[in-house]
Amino acid sequence: MANALLIQVLNGLVYGGLLFIVSVGLVLIFGLRRVVNFAHGSLFMIGAYVGFSIATVAGFWAGVLGAAVVLAVAGVLLDVSVFRPLRRQDPIATVLVTFGLLLILEDLAHTVWGKDTHTLPLPEMLAGSVDILGQPFPAYRLMVIAVAAAVGVGLALWLRFSRVGLFVRASSIDPVTTAVQGVNTDRVSALVVAVGTGLAGLSGTIAAPLLALSPSMGGSILIESFIVVVVGGLGSFSGALIAALAIGQIHNLGIIYVPWAATMVPFLLMVAVLVWRPTGFAGSHV
Amino acid sequence: MSELLAFSNVVAGYGGARILHDLDLRIDAGERVAVLGRNGVGKTTIVNAFLGIARRMQGEIRLAGKAVGDIRHFTAARAGISVVPQGRCIIPNLTVRENLILGAAVRRKGAWTVERVFAMFPILKERADTPGTALSGGQQQMLAIGRALMANPHLLVLDEPSEGLAPVIVDELADNLRHVADGGTGLLIIEQNYSLVRRVAERYYVLSKGEVAEQGAMAGLTKESLKKHIAV
Repeated sequence: MANALLIQVLNGLVYGGLLFIVSVGLVLIFGLRRVVNFAHGSLFMIGAYVGFSIATVAGFWAGVLGAAVVLAVAGVLLDVSVFRPLRRQDPIATVLVTFGLLLILEDLAHTVWGKDTHTLPLPEMLAGSVDILGQPFPAYRLMVIAVAAAVGVGLALWLRFSRVGLFVRASSIDPVTTAVQGVNTDRVSALVVAVGTGLAGLSGTIAAPLLALSPSMGGSILIESFIVVVVGGLGSFSGALIAALAIGQIHNLGIIYVPWAATMVPFLLMVAVLVWRPTGFAGSHV
Repeated sequence: MSELLAFSNVVAGYGGARILHDLDLRIDAGERVAVLGRNGVGKTTIVNAFLGIARRMQGEIRLAGKAVGDIRHFTAARAGISVVPQGRCIIPNLTVRENLILGAAVRRKGAWTVERVFAMFPILKERADTPGTALSGGQQQMLAIGRALMANPHLLVLDEPSEGLAPVIVDELADNLRHVADGGTGLLIIEQNYSLVRRVAERYYVLSKGEVAEQGAMAGLTKESLKKHIAV
């Protein structure tokens, strides 16, 4: 019983880890650009397809790396062509534009990759299982947890100890004062959007062997990512981590033990947080 | 002497509102200049104009001797002009040390380092790892000055540096600013506090309704002559 519970907790960590990688991109983009990016789920979906296409030709790891790079470049274009020109407009304008982008990207995926679902095979070296307290657990899923942990630790170290990380934290609170010190905050923001969308590409490809690839696959991850961002605190890195791990467990354990409430609980949690602590668990800055 | 900051016939403001009217102003290397004036006459708009926060509608702004067309927020810092803004604008999620490191973003070589700022303001060293906004008002002013000095500027601009400070702290501030200027850094102090500028500046401008109403050597400015422009 305990061993079975451990496996479910690990599965919750897999989903929470994926949610964290997607959500932290949303958090970074919101923190710097104050943009609620409705297209983020579609970038996850495009990342999965791009990774799938590259992996088919050059192997799984090339797919992961390629998707992250392609989506990061797309992020820079998105920042320069959409977020930056719209930064002084009513926020609703940016929301509408990113929502439009969501629809365009879904249509693009339909056109390029077709309506049929695709599956990305597991990389050979991670196709087996690992024995955990007598229970077999897929090695690939452990790798997903490891990647999420590496992303979290890497981002935390980058934000805490690097010069650019310092600029990112300062810009997220006071972009004008940061710029007055000589920092080109537009470049910092473009970099952060690239990191955010690159992570969407990375997570899309990492998730691809676990999901069926379809143009609508970004929808559910977007909704759960928004829940993570609201519960954790808009713009909060540590809040996103805590909320993603919590929602990963709620999602997974809920499906096993209270299937009738599994879908509902994350939304109820979000409503409760909005009522009792509207800034989320951890406030509102990177 | 080389020109650090100059306004020629500058009209500037916010949206459609014009705050500065045909303003002429010039500060050369190593000078100590004060801009005095009542609240609302446009003193802070001078700073905001060369930082690209206020909109320049007419005229020319020169930074380090070069006319600048498209002024971005970071342009002045890269031209060697550092600003201690009104209200200090300490970044709250950064520690004292991190706020200082942020000031060195332009990476200009010079004498000012974190250790030298700590030597000038020892209290900042004691509180190096606390959030910048946990400091008192006077300590935050020290931090804002230290942050600006970390860029090793040719010109240090201070907007209402004595605002909210006790008189004894203002005295210390005057000593520190003289010490900075003795090292060759130019000073532009935008103030209403006559006693502070009298001890630091050597030349002054009095601003009234967005224009220079009077200018000259500080030695020629008395409290009485200033009274017609500003309550002292």
